[in-house]
Amino acid sequence: MKRKYVDIAVRHIALILLAAIWLVPILWLVVTSFSAYDGRNTSQFFPAEWSLHQYTNLVLHPDTVANFPAWFKNTLMIACGNCVISSIFVLMVAYAFSCMRFKGRRGLQNLSVIVNLFPGVLSMIAIYFVLRTFGLTNSHFGLLLVYCGSSGLGYLIAKGFFDTVPRGLLEAAKIDGASEARCFFQVVIPLSRPIIVYTVINAFLAPWMDFVFAKMILNAGVSADWTVAIGLYNMLERSLINSYFGQFCAGGVLISIPISILFIIMQKFYVEGVTGGAVKG
Amino acid sequence: MDKVKSAFRSFGLFFAEFGEAVVKGDLWTKLTLVWMGAGYLGRRQYIKALIMTLFQAAVIYFSCTFAVEYLADFATLGTVQQESVFNVVTMQNEFNDYDNSFLILLGSVISLVVWVGFFFAWIFNVKCVWRIERQAKLGKHVNNFREDLRGYINERFYVTLLTVPVAGVVIFTIVPLIIMIFVAFTNYDQNHMPPSALFDWVGLNNFISLFGGSGLTVSFSYAFVRILIWTLIWSFFATLTCYFGGILLSLLINGKRTMGKKLWRALFMVTVAVPQFVSLLLVRNFFADNGIVNTILNNIGVIGALRDLGVISNTYIPFLSSPGWAHVMILIINIWVGVPYQMLIATGVLMNLPTDQIESASIDGANKWQVFRHITMPYVLNVTGPALVTDFVKNINNFNVIYLLTESVYTTTNQTMANSQAKEVDLLVTWLFRLTQDNYNYKMASVIGIVIFIICAVFTLVCFNRINRKEGEYA
Repeated sequence: MKRKYVDIAVRHIALILLAAIWLVPILWLVVTSFSAYDGRNTSQFFPAEWSLHQYTNLVLHPDTVANFPAWFKNTLMIACGNCVISSIFVLMVAYAFSCMRFKGRRGLQNLSVIVNLFPGVLSMIAIYFVLRTFGLTNSHFGLLLVYCGSSGLGYLIAKGFFDTVPRGLLEAAKIDGASEARCFFQVVIPLSRPIIVYTVINAFLAPWMDFVFAKMILNAGVSADWTVAIGLYNMLERSLINSYFGQFCAGGVLISIPISILFIIMQKFYVEGVTGGAVKG
Repeated sequence: MDKVKSAFRSFGLFFAEFGEAVVKGDLWTKLTLVWMGAGYLGRRQYIKALIMTLFQAAVIYFSCTFAVEYLADFATLGTVQQESVFNVVTMQNEFNDYDNSFLILLGSVISLVVWVGFFFAWIFNVKCVWRIERQAKLGKHVNNFREDLRGYINERFYVTLLTVPVAGVVIFTIVPLIIMIFVAFTNYDQNHMPPSALFDWVGLNNFISLFGGSGLTVSFSYAFVRILIWTLIWSFFATLTCYFGGILLSLLINGKRTMGKKLWRALFMVTVAVPQFVSLLLVRNFFADNGIVNTILNNIGVIGALRDLGVISNTYIPFLSSPGWAHVMILIINIWVGVPYQMLIATGVLMNLPTDQIESASIDGANKWQVFRHITMPYVLNVTGPALVTDFVKNINNFNVIYLLTESVYTTTNQTMANSQAKEVDLLVTWLFRLTQDNYNYKMASVIGIVIFIICAVFTLVCFNRINRKEGEYA
């Protein structure tokens, strides 16, 4: 009996310690965002003076360095576009590979595995030059093309889920005279709510989280055209950090809130999708 | 081996039917070899005949105008250097009709891809016509155009589904990759930047300078060996620490005696939910040389003690700014970023644990460690083994963690590394990125990209072969 209590105590103390380690930097982000001091607070953990002016500056008084409202709008637009196009691509590819049998299916799947082994940055270099030839660098449309273009390669998790849809259902539908397209829209899609939510949120979040591609495509343009990621990154340039660190923290908090909410909704489906995919192979 | 064999067999069958069509087909089928619409015309499928004829005409037009122009210069990548010439008519300086090596390369690759696509379409077309011919001869029903169209939402629905996504992948991934593979065999760098200068084929020179060149290029092989070793060490430890950390944390949270499971899970989720570029940039300032952690450590006397011991020579701990410290810190910070992710996945796996086995084992007197060692771990490894392999590959290409933590914070003092734009903490990908962004050294970046691919491909092949063989044994 005594051992049981020791065990409970040890578990919870360990968890409290770990949670503290994991949350201290985040706590620092939040408290610094409420600091009255613009630069990096290096002398003490909590700000000497509390204030909301990092937030008001960031949202209400954009300047050439920090144009958060514009960045937010840009990222939101790209995210919505990507969300629609990428999700459709992913679901289409996943259905074709999971539920249909055709010549070259194996070959295409192997090819997608091989292509995924090349570092994404490498093909980006060439894409950059191609987009520049067509005058699409520093444009949101170019960035959207980059996000959507290869999104079909990310079909594995959705395919893993489609694999679990009972084949009997599909066969029954076909015997009743349903076409393959009807099977897709009226049998598989309604059964796949979790993985659709997962795919949609995933595609929506990608532009918010992405840093490399945005930096490569949009970096040279004016700051009002940037996405949140490169905008916030730029605030930490050596010459800017002492006047913008507080606003960086405020921006970090502001975009983390919606992303966290979406992420928490997604994680339920994420676990289902990932393990479903992993178990079935 | 069997896979390779079957791949060759299906490839052979693909051409066998084509050969059969050429030899045994009637006049219309043979005519299809030169005129793609002919076979359909013979079978009175006028719309299809029209479509195929237009398609062929388009490809021929493309070949005569676009492809010929670019492919003619493919061997030399252009010969006319850009020059500014005074034009007496307009009284202004104007550029001559110069060659742009990159556009030549791009145009050539596009042409080659189109031709390869056309070649397969051509063979496929002949086979289609041959099939229709046989069906007609056997007196079977031959689909009309409307029935053919209907096929695209039925048994050939996959064509409808895959065409656009596959085209996207070809345009935005495969063509660029082919271009970069070609660039690895040229001298495309800051001294040879189109449009003002030309670049040219140099054979294997770039590979030679990466794998042990001499003279000016020796710094590349020097940096390459060091960065390769660190990349492998990083991927190994980053993958394993996050993997086992995630499983242990998940066991801790999901244990029977833990209260408030959801609360704990949510607390750790917070770090995952904050976007990486925010959390990593934040942590980098947290551990900066004059950052908050150093201040606190200084105030409680840790720094003084370490200095007395001779561990550090400055008034701060160079967490992210000196080799050794930075390497360890990067791995630790990666644990901070990665463990909650793995915890989520492990939670999902552990929920499906075979509980009856664990129960019967504990009835038989197995202790916790034995249960973990002989039931939980083998099960989890079995389920997540393939994910472990892909995680390793992802870590080899883990751009974010390294770049966001060290860019403009870590400066190398090693002159030989600096000569090739490398830092001790760089991974191959970040080195590649920096070579292109700061130094326009596209030729070496492409070579490094190819090396990364080879490493990932070999590793993946070997591991999946092992995994498959193991499964074969148990099956």
